[in-house]
Amino acid sequence: MAHPSINNSQDIKTKKHTNETSKISRFIDKTTIALLIIIVIIYVAFLTLPVISVFLKLDLTQISSQLQNPGIIKAIELSLYTSLIATLLSVILAVPTGYFLATRKFYGKTVIDTLMDLPLVLPPAVAGIALLYTFAPGGLLGPVFNSFDIIIPGYTAAVIIAQIFVASPFLIRSAKIGFEKQDQTIYNSAKILTGSRLRVFFTISLPLAMRAIISGTIMTWARAMGEFGATLMFAGNLPGITQTIPLAIYTMLYSDPLAGVMLSIILISISFAVIIIVKLLEQKRYGYKK
Amino acid sequence: MIKIESLSKSFNEKKVINNLSLEVQKNEVIALLGPNGSGKTTLLNMIAGLLRPDSGNIYINNIMVNGTNGTKKVNLNPFERQIGYVFQTISLFPHMKIQDNISYGLKSLHLSKFEVKKRTSALLDFVGLREHALSYPSQLSGGQQQRAALARSLATEPQVILLDEPVSATDPQLKETFRLELKKYLQTLEITTLYVTHNLSEAFMMADKIAVIGNGHIEQVGNRAEIFDKTQSTYVAKFLGINIFEGKAVKEQNGLLLIEINGIPLMSALTPEFVGKNVTITLKPEDITLLTKEPVNTNSDNSIIGVITEIVQMHSTAQVTVDAGFPVKARIAFTTIKNLGITVGDKVYMSFSPLSLNVFSDTEKRK
Repeated sequence: MAHPSINNSQDIKTKKHTNETSKISRFIDKTTIALLIIIVIIYVAFLTLPVISVFLKLDLTQISSQLQNPGIIKAIELSLYTSLIATLLSVILAVPTGYFLATRKFYGKTVIDTLMDLPLVLPPAVAGIALLYTFAPGGLLGPVFNSFDIIIPGYTAAVIIAQIFVASPFLIRSAKIGFEKQDQTIYNSAKILTGSRLRVFFTISLPLAMRAIISGTIMTWARAMGEFGATLMFAGNLPGITQTIPLAIYTMLYSDPLAGVMLSIILISISFAVIIIVKLLEQKRYGYKK
Repeated sequence: MIKIESLSKSFNEKKVINNLSLEVQKNEVIALLGPNGSGKTTLLNMIAGLLRPDSGNIYINNIMVNGTNGTKKVNLNPFERQIGYVFQTISLFPHMKIQDNISYGLKSLHLSKFEVKKRTSALLDFVGLREHALSYPSQLSGGQQQRAALARSLATEPQVILLDEPVSATDPQLKETFRLELKKYLQTLEITTLYVTHNLSEAFMMADKIAVIGNGHIEQVGNRAEIFDKTQSTYVAKFLGINIFEGKAVKEQNGLLLIEINGIPLMSALTPEFVGKNVTITLKPEDITLLTKEPVNTNSDNSIIGVITEIVQMHSTAQVTVDAGFPVKARIAFTTIKNLGITVGDKVYMSFSPLSLNVFSDTEKRK
């Protein structure tokens, strides 16, 4: 209280100073936010415009005639047929493998885990070559198939093999996570209440992993439907035999652009449906009150 | 009945359970009391068959469930042990309704549908969850879920039940209510029970006897009086918050035992074989009376003078730490502190009966 005037002037000085800094920092804050919004707009546009542009090419009056185009029908039939078989086989192969990897500890597990993820990041062209060098008559397993007079490349089976190869790791991954994240005490409770391992698997482990398995299955199917590179290289591009929707789009790009648009929209719709179903599955909880 | 003989278990070369032995008689409730990390859950998991011991034997109702029988190694699976287990965390099957959770074990007993229904219904009534039979676990409170878990574990009519901190999953404000409910259930059931807890008052409330676990083995087993008044280990005394001193038994005097702690002579009940030996002495904080004047009528009570270094107020009592050359904790009513008008830095006399001093030889420590 001895020198109130001095104290006051000092106070004002600091206030002015802080005012100045807060002005600058507020300006920086605002600019940063503006910049952020611009980045988001550009990026969202970049990701959605291509999809929108396909829809803009769609001629509604042409839909019914396009649906009678035999090339389109064949491609749709083949894609549904191969992708559903590939998905079914993936479930049979990947769910038990996912369970095994989630519940067992063994030497070299990390190596197996990594190898299972490899097809997810492998370029499709490389996958195609790799499959050729394995299943083609001159490939690693060629002699085996030759002895049974079986040729794979160029046939529908090759499409299914290519789809399983690139798509099923999605299912292994999500099945593994589904089994892994289960509370050990829930599993232990069941083991105390029943002597049957099979019963524990089918009544506890499997139902609790079911959501992850279903969403993995859907993603696998979507990936199989969209498979292009590996199929083109390994199975070829034969209408009605190996020409699936993506291959048909590629082939029709110049000859029949409208058909390509039609097929693209089918694939886009599937992708949308998959995203929505997977999101819904992630949200669902047991015993939600209505 | 549960009988455990010299059980050991290590994780990464750290001995969690070390040569542990314990017996729970038929229909007896024993609380396994110990701090976190003392191996309580590890022990339960070994009894349940969820974890395999490194060595030692476990018997449930006179049947060896773990151990070596001649040359044969025995390790029964959890289901064969006929036990019930209520876990510390909620372990109900989240995708099943409460009634299906409870009947899960019944369905492995090959009973008729009618019998399964009847028993499930009886258990729902027993734990008071009839109106929640069709609910999913997530729709129930923590306490209700643990009651359902108890019912589920009882469904198969086990010989033994293991409860691992069953109260910890309930909401804090409902803990006491749930404890009382559990107590009632355990009294009604009359079943051999091992009740794991780190909470002292919960242990005394639930159990006939308490087994204090520490250093990988059972430090002491006994009822309340035995554990508190006849503490037999430094570890137990420390865990219970009892004063513990090192001293020497000097000689017999007037039918009592003269001991010395830090040069201060004190009288305790006579145990002739301690004379001339180093001993450990425990003294419960609540057995000490604080006085501001030197006690005149010193019949045979002990009296030590010291300076108050700390006063911590608890619920209705206060813990007063007095420096008498060594720290002594006394617990007295908070009103007494007010009446005496004492505060930190004041000189006080601590008075206590010779009988409140518990003298023992902590062999563990002198090894």
